[in-house]
Amino acid sequence: MILGQIGFLLLVSSLIFSIYLIYLIYFNYKSVSDIISIKIYTFTFLQLITILFSFFFLIFSFVNSDFSLVSVYQNSHTTKPLFYKISGTWGNHEGSLLLWLLVLSLFSFFFLIQSRNDLKKYRLLTILFQNLIIIGFLVFIIKTSNPFLSLYPVPLEGLGLNPILQDPALAIHPPILYLGYVGSSIVFSSALAAMIEKYVNKIWASSIKIWIMISWIFLTIGIMLGSFWAYYELGWGGFWFWDPVENVSLMPWLTLTALLHSIIILEKRETFHSWTLILAIISFTLSMNGTFLVRSGILNSIHTFANDPARGLYILIFLSILAFFSLIIFYLFQPEKKETTRFFLFSRETSILINNWFMIFFLVVVLIGTIYPLILEILNNSKISVGPPFFNILIIPFLIPFLIFMSIGPRMNWINTENKSIIKKKLLHLLVIIIIFSPMFFYFDKKNILSLSIFILGIFLLLSLLNELKEFFIKSKIRNISKIISHLGFAILIISISLNNIFSIEIDTNLKVGDSYKFKKYELVFQNISGKVEKNYNSVIGKFILKDIKNDIIYLNPEIRIYENPPMITSEASIKNNFFYDNYITMSNIQGGEYYNIRFQKKFMMLWIWISALVMAFGGLLRVFKK
Amino acid sequence: MFGKKVNSRILFICLLLFSLILTTYIIFKALEENVVYFKSPSEVKNISELEIKKKIRIGGMVKNNSIKSYSDYISFTITDFKNEINVTYSGSIPNLFSEGKGVVAEGILRDNNYFIASKILAKHDENYMPPNDNNLNNNK
Amino acid sequence: MFLKSRENIIRFLFFLVIFLLLFFLGSIFFKSLNTTKIFVPDKLIGRSLPDFTAESFDDKNKYFTKNEIFNEKKYYLLNIWASWCGPCREEHPILIKLSNDHNLELVGLNFKDKKENALKFLNKSGNPYNKVLIDNNGSVSISLGAYGVPETFLINEKKIIELKFVGPLKNSDYKKILKKINYKNEN
Repeated sequence: MILGQIGFLLLVSSLIFSIYLIYLIYFNYKSVSDIISIKIYTFTFLQLITILFSFFFLIFSFVNSDFSLVSVYQNSHTTKPLFYKISGTWGNHEGSLLLWLLVLSLFSFFFLIQSRNDLKKYRLLTILFQNLIIIGFLVFIIKTSNPFLSLYPVPLEGLGLNPILQDPALAIHPPILYLGYVGSSIVFSSALAAMIEKYVNKIWASSIKIWIMISWIFLTIGIMLGSFWAYYELGWGGFWFWDPVENVSLMPWLTLTALLHSIIILEKRETFHSWTLILAIISFTLSMNGTFLVRSGILNSIHTFANDPARGLYILIFLSILAFFSLIIFYLFQPEKKETTRFFLFSRETSILINNWFMIFFLVVVLIGTIYPLILEILNNSKISVGPPFFNILIIPFLIPFLIFMSIGPRMNWINTENKSIIKKKLLHLLVIIIIFSPMFFYFDKKNILSLSIFILGIFLLLSLLNELKEFFIKSKIRNISKIISHLGFAILIISISLNNIFSIEIDTNLKVGDSYKFKKYELVFQNISGKVEKNYNSVIGKFILKDIKNDIIYLNPEIRIYENPPMITSEASIKNNFFYDNYITMSNIQGGEYYNIRFQKKFMMLWIWISALVMAFGGLLRVFKK
Repeated sequence: MFGKKVNSRILFICLLLFSLILTTYIIFKALEENVVYFKSPSEVKNISELEIKKKIRIGGMVKNNSIKSYSDYISFTITDFKNEINVTYSGSIPNLFSEGKGVVAEGILRDNNYFIASKILAKHDENYMPPNDNNLNNNK
Repeated sequence: MFLKSRENIIRFLFFLVIFLLLFFLGSIFFKSLNTTKIFVPDKLIGRSLPDFTAESFDDKNKYFTKNEIFNEKKYYLLNIWASWCGPCREEHPILIKLSNDHNLELVGLNFKDKKENALKFLNKSGNPYNKVLIDNNGSVSISLGAYGVPETFLINEKKIIELKFVGPLKNSDYKKILKKINYKNEN
């Protein structure tokens, strides 16, 4: 009770610190001295500490099951394991916003101490914009989503956390995703500041690159964890569904990836100033947009939470202010067009530009697919949904040219006339690979042509990267190892997804106990069911045997869990995996009858999909630490 | 020299414009082919021309005592308390699917009373009620 | 000079287009905030309450129809609640306060609840309701056009819905309700 009040007071005091910081920044900006006053450091630190402690107090209340706080009462339960009590802190709207805020102030503090070598006025302005965002969030939390709201009389027991959310992957998924989202806030603030201070140049590019990298890494891992959760916990048997909430996290990832590439041109060749700035601005706007769409619940998604229109309205206002404000700054301070440097058609910069175009195209597709239903509903009053085929049709075929450019582009040099011969050599390699793999087209079904083409190009990309890796280690040529590793991760991802598409088997059927089902080379036997009583749920466990033609036997035990707090039924998939494929089975009862709905899948390369995302992130991490 | 520069610039802009128009066209073409409309049983009753090939979604409540399961499919009735529609379905069933609860089925309409579902969606929200239910009572 | 100003105009137009696009998106988002909600509370107001039957809380297997429930010429407050619902606790004191008003009869509809839990809840926090009904599978609430729990309808003697509140009742709602009831009585 008292902790809650202190937590709230800490939030209010951090609001006061933030406002005072703006005042300090104003005077420091006008002063002639070249150093940032120590007061700014102190108050940024205080701001961080107060938010940190209020977050700790909230965690403490969750651990202690202090049901005098509404957020604890609604989202926790005394019988919950400690780990989920803690993760329950950010499993709800209020707590997750507090976490957003914490990360925001953490990054703002780190930026301040890490950017010592940069221009003073630019640093001050970045911190100023960062503080405006922090204030926006603080007011939002205090006014509409106070996590420390108290409840009287104090209930004896909480309402429990949604059991679907009780999963280790999901416990760490939001914080990591937020680190990615919020990391882009620094990029946003610094882009605006650099624009005003006419500081958009090589130095800025190389100093902000690390922040782009950091938020890109977290976003990559965050998206991967979310997809991991959907696969293992939701029992959908897939890793990507083009669900609006997934799309919303993919959009900033696409722009950040584009930004990661275009900032290199800015650093090396001093061109693309405006373009890089636009990418920096929309990356954060899209992150905020994601928060808005998810939190306001206007999207039709499985993740939508019960919601309060006032909250949505506040984020919308905040988001529009940010967008218009940055647009105006961009209009007023857009960098002057310099005399265009000589531009070669066949060069590294062209290939990066092409990468950017692809990224923007993918972004537009995802954006339209996500918000088109909203637009149509308002304008036409018809309810529609845009399904996965839309995204598949518009994205998968375009991966073909994308992959070719990705294999060739990075091998090219900056401003160089020898690039034509490199391209010729690479295209020759491609031809050889296509010829080697072409028998596959006859062997497989017609519907797999696209997946096969993608697979072949994935191999092409992989080989070309392995070649680079060889040059790096054996000939010790100076190459950018972190780039090679990240691209390697992407190649593995593409190969795994295409193989997954080609080889996976899916069976859907209704079975009684004792039934068996034959398909292809396999036989699935439903042996029996048994019940089990656990701490916070009861479960029904099915026993299945999967026999293949060689009589190899695999046991699978899917579960139906019946929770009491809150009342809910979930399916636990039973997954037996090895290096190359997963056997995946879920069952659900049909309305208390004797039939169970069984869904069996043999999914290929699933493990590699997760590994590839980690490899991509690892490549980025190497870059961060090399600095 | 100057002329060449202007020329290449015009070429660039034309190319950009062309690809922009092309992209817009492709996107909206794909959109048109892949959107799934959402209807209530009452709206379905009023459809005069059936588009057999087009997928739609029907939302409503599963009528009490209407779920029947067979070895390779299930059948049930979706109702919005004014009109109902019979549905057959084979495929995986979400846990929240049960009688008296909201359901959204995606599939193809055979006629105004008969719907073949290819997918059943249920929200992960215990209290979810399909959209359009609110309009029901207004018409009375 | 001419070139410069032409470039400026193009630049301005370019920004205007982006601005308008953003504005368009923003207003779509704004409108969706209010419309995509599954409930449309205002539409129900002024319409007569739909017919329904619901099980009595006290007598098992005893069912009431709409006319049996709202049988007196009085104001009724139909409140959908559940013991597991947090916001219901929040609004409970207001319901208790309202139950002191003799011009108003409170009807509680217990939504998808366990009977023992519901009883415990009423014993602990007080029972403001004159009648309690059960809605085990949620179908009554649906035919009422309800969105979730808690939700409250103010129904007049002609069985017309005068007010509808989605979510917990707030103090301002309490005043609104009082004003409605007492205004009628003074006339």
